Amino acid sequence: MPGIINKATLKHLSSLARIELNAKETNKFLKDFAKIIEHFSELEKIDTDKIEPIIGGTNLKNILREDDVDFDKRARSVNDSGRIIRAFPNSERGYLKIPPVFDAPAGSP
Amino acid sequence: MLPLARHEMKHLHDLTIKKFHEGLLNRAFSALEMTENFFKWIESNDKKINAYLHLNKEEAYLQAEKTDIALVKGEKMHLLGGVPLAIKDNILITEQPVTAGSKILENYRASYDATVIRKLKSANAVFLGKTNMDEFAMGSSTENSAFKITKNPHDLTLVPGGSSGGSAAAVSSHMAVAALGSDTGGSIRQPADFCNVVGLKPTYGAVSRYGLIAMASSLDQIGPITKTVEDSAILFGAISGHDSYDATSADVIYGDELINPKLERIKEMTIGLPKEYFIDGLEKDIKEKIDEVIKSLKTLKIKFKNISLPHTNSAVSCYYIIMPAEVSSNLSRFDGIRYSQLVESDKLAKNLKELYIKNKSLGFGAEVKRRIILGTFVLSSGYYDAYYSKAQKVRTLIKKDFDEAFKEVDVILTPVSPTKPFKIGERADDPMAMYLSDIFTIPANLAGLPAISIPPGFQLIGKPWREADILGIGQFYERINK
Repeated sequence: MPGIINKATLKHLSSLARIELNAKETNKFLKDFAKIIEHFSELEKIDTDKIEPIIGGTNLKNILREDDVDFDKRARSVNDSGRIIRAFPNSERGYLKIPPVFDAPAGSP
Repeated sequence: MLPLARHEMKHLHDLTIKKFHEGLLNRAFSALEMTENFFKWIESNDKKINAYLHLNKEEAYLQAEKTDIALVKGEKMHLLGGVPLAIKDNILITEQPVTAGSKILENYRASYDATVIRKLKSANAVFLGKTNMDEFAMGSSTENSAFKITKNPHDLTLVPGGSSGGSAAAVSSHMAVAALGSDTGGSIRQPADFCNVVGLKPTYGAVSRYGLIAMASSLDQIGPITKTVEDSAILFGAISGHDSYDATSADVIYGDELINPKLERIKEMTIGLPKEYFIDGLEKDIKEKIDEVIKSLKTLKIKFKNISLPHTNSAVSCYYIIMPAEVSSNLSRFDGIRYSQLVESDKLAKNLKELYIKNKSLGFGAEVKRRIILGTFVLSSGYYDAYYSKAQKVRTLIKKDFDEAFKEVDVILTPVSPTKPFKIGERADDPMAMYLSDIFTIPANLAGLPAISIPPGFQLIGKPWREADILGIGQFYERINK
């Protein structure tokens, strides 16, 4: 199998996952991943040429419901939005307040 | 049934759901005094076991009182009415803390009830508290909790198994009559086995996952951990059924056969013994106990047949690709903002991305980080086909093995774990060794099948939606071995 996770890949992957690893974690994970991915190589031997992948859960049929507005209303009353908003660290008029998504440009107030 | 004398009911270790119900009806005790007894026992005993993360006294007493009032009024009592239960801490109860064993949710309180909780509340069950677990249900020993390490009640130097180790330890040490856990790759069955109690993972879709903090959505199921197979049947009956809030919840109705199995039907059954599960690495003691179980089941006239599930050995690799892939997606929502604040880093972060990075790096433990990054890897462009897509195809083959086997047999019997409980710390630094301890439980999750773990260490895997078969055999096994 093609995969190995080296230091550069690990840095890229963890940045995609929004996780910062310290030096100790980096060294440990490099060792762990080498072992784990080596174990995965056993899958190479299995012939899966004409096999369809299972996507999602198994043994399930689609259960559709009417697209009715009241269902969403009921869902909302179960999910008391007040409780969700109270869990926010900072809110204004029911919206979650967060730091800016982009850095403020230099010189802006 | 003779009324139970009051002194007989002082011993919490005698209580099953069934006996609790009889005791209530016979006025041997009230729900309230029993709830008090449980809290007393938890407060003295849990110091050494560490099964619970939070206790829920106020609401438990209210719920118990409601049961007692209903009894006085002569209202019909559900089998679970007043029964003190422990709930794994990844299942939401309104206004109660729910941490999933993670620091990132340390301050979070649930904003709604999980469907299983709503169902149990309407049966008047009592929730004593929330139990410890491996962080986000990732682990096989409950050592990955951000808060405490749960001990095996039978030997405090051993792990209780995981990830539902707190629930299994609580039931096993009589700090709850029964409990709920969740099972993604064995997280109900393996701790139940290590703690010498019963654990059922239902068919995928049998129990609503609404209000369960998701780990790997195509594999997760909530299920009971109990002292007897009969109790598992009762609890499973109460929590199963279709739920429009979970799109993968199936429209299946389980009838009376769950708790009233018929011997005539059981006698007609054939149990398969897959050769891939009886390998050299299986501890001798476990093998010997399973031979005893088989001997005992043969006295019920059940037939046995040797079968093969050829792709069993690929299950661990397949699982440790698919599960982290789903984990990396599911856990992206935990940013240390929406579900309560993690640290006061708000003012220090220059922008949102920096805040995410700070919160996730601080809030997640090592195993969670490892799986998120591994999942990001197997899904990343260039590796997707080699890993994720390949694993999904192997998953199809694993399921096909079972489909073929179930043409010849009704139920499959295997060990639950290749080893007995290991020492605390023994596998903590070696993830691969830890992953391999799930080898016998993972296949049922990958194939979406119901499976139950029963002392002294055997697993019964059933056809889809046929919990009644494995619970039925289990109940008759229990009756002839009591």
